[in-house]
Amino acid sequence: MTRQTHAYHMVDPSPWPLTGAAAAFLLTSGLTTWMHTQSLMLLTAGLILTLLTAYQWWRDIVRESTFLGHHTLPVQKGLRYGMILFITSEVFFFLGFFWAFFHSSLAPTPELGGYWPPAGITPINPFEVPLLNTALLLSSGVTVTWAHHSMMKGCRTQAIQALTLTILLGFYFTTLQAEEYFEAPFTIADGVYGATFFVATGFHGLHVIIGSTFLTVCLYRQVKYHFTSNHHFGFEAAAWYWHFVDVVWLFLYASIYWWGSLPL
Amino acid sequence: MRAPTVYLHNKHRTVSTAVSGNMFRAVFRLSAAGSRSLTRTRPCYSAPLAARCYSLVKEETDEEFDSRWATYFSNPDIDAWELRKGMNTLIGYDLVPEPKILDSALRACRRLNDLASAIRILEAVRDKAGPHKDIYPYLIQELKPTLTELGISTPEELGIDKL
Repeated sequence: MTRQTHAYHMVDPSPWPLTGAAAAFLLTSGLTTWMHTQSLMLLTAGLILTLLTAYQWWRDIVRESTFLGHHTLPVQKGLRYGMILFITSEVFFFLGFFWAFFHSSLAPTPELGGYWPPAGITPINPFEVPLLNTALLLSSGVTVTWAHHSMMKGCRTQAIQALTLTILLGFYFTTLQAEEYFEAPFTIADGVYGATFFVATGFHGLHVIIGSTFLTVCLYRQVKYHFTSNHHFGFEAAAWYWHFVDVVWLFLYASIYWWGSLPL
Repeated sequence: MRAPTVYLHNKHRTVSTAVSGNMFRAVFRLSAAGSRSLTRTRPCYSAPLAARCYSLVKEETDEEFDSRWATYFSNPDIDAWELRKGMNTLIGYDLVPEPKILDSALRACRRLNDLASAIRILEAVRDKAGPHKDIYPYLIQELKPTLTELGISTPEELGIDKL
């Protein structure tokens, strides 16, 4: 009888990388097609295939780890590196949008009136809803840490409570932000101010939704007894991602909302 | 930087110490003076020591400031972004820029073929002068040769100074 003589995980063949690649192709071609014709077919297909791929791929990882025990310490170490590298790549993603914002706002062109915020723009008051949003995300950082410590101590109910509270705070942020988007006196088409504002905050909002989803999956798994007090990397990865989302918000708030709204 | 002076407030004695460079010397001198005054039984008023804590960094003079900014705009390779950034930073200061700086900036606009920014500079300095209505005409008067040479009209000549 043969068995592996190392601690690594040689994964079984899987169709999800292929469906994921196909989904990426459909998303990109679908987006292009939608921009030139009225058809949303390819894009919709791409979105559905992406969701199906993600669900089934991650479901398989849960099966391999929680139910089949393949996630040994070296495997977990690799996953940690992977998550750190991924979050680092996301940092660079946002860095680009911050570059764009500062490029435009530090040296406003004559078309804008030579000052920032540009002529005709009424910025959102940073001390109203945006400040509340900051408090919400900071608090959610506290509750997710509370959840983690509860988990490590084996306090099941508290872990569930704290994680639920984290998710609720995240949803409240998203709701408020959606209302702000609806009520804003400027749009994405309003010059470089609108463009930098909505692209940067928009991608951030998308990441909040992704992070909230990740945390919700963790809540489900916690309720279903997947996590132990010393092995819960899925949750740790979600918490890292959530903190990253919070930090990005702090930079957005300080630079775009606050500094970017200061009058002459 | 003006040399800091340190006073010990005492009805019968005033110790003023001009310190050049080392502030600790003054502290030692003061504590010696202080202990002497405390041994006297005479009623005396001792307020907290007034000490200047200026950094040792040499502050820029007005001339150095003007030269620095004139040099900034006179860079032959200055690009449009740097011009706009420089102007925004300059206008953010609590002062009206000297003609020397503005001349350099206007020439940078000429090199960059940016007439809009050149005229905007004039509007900006008029705004910076605020209630001091005599500053702007003085600046225009000083800059008139340059404005003529570079073919820059003032907002007033273009009729865009009034809403």
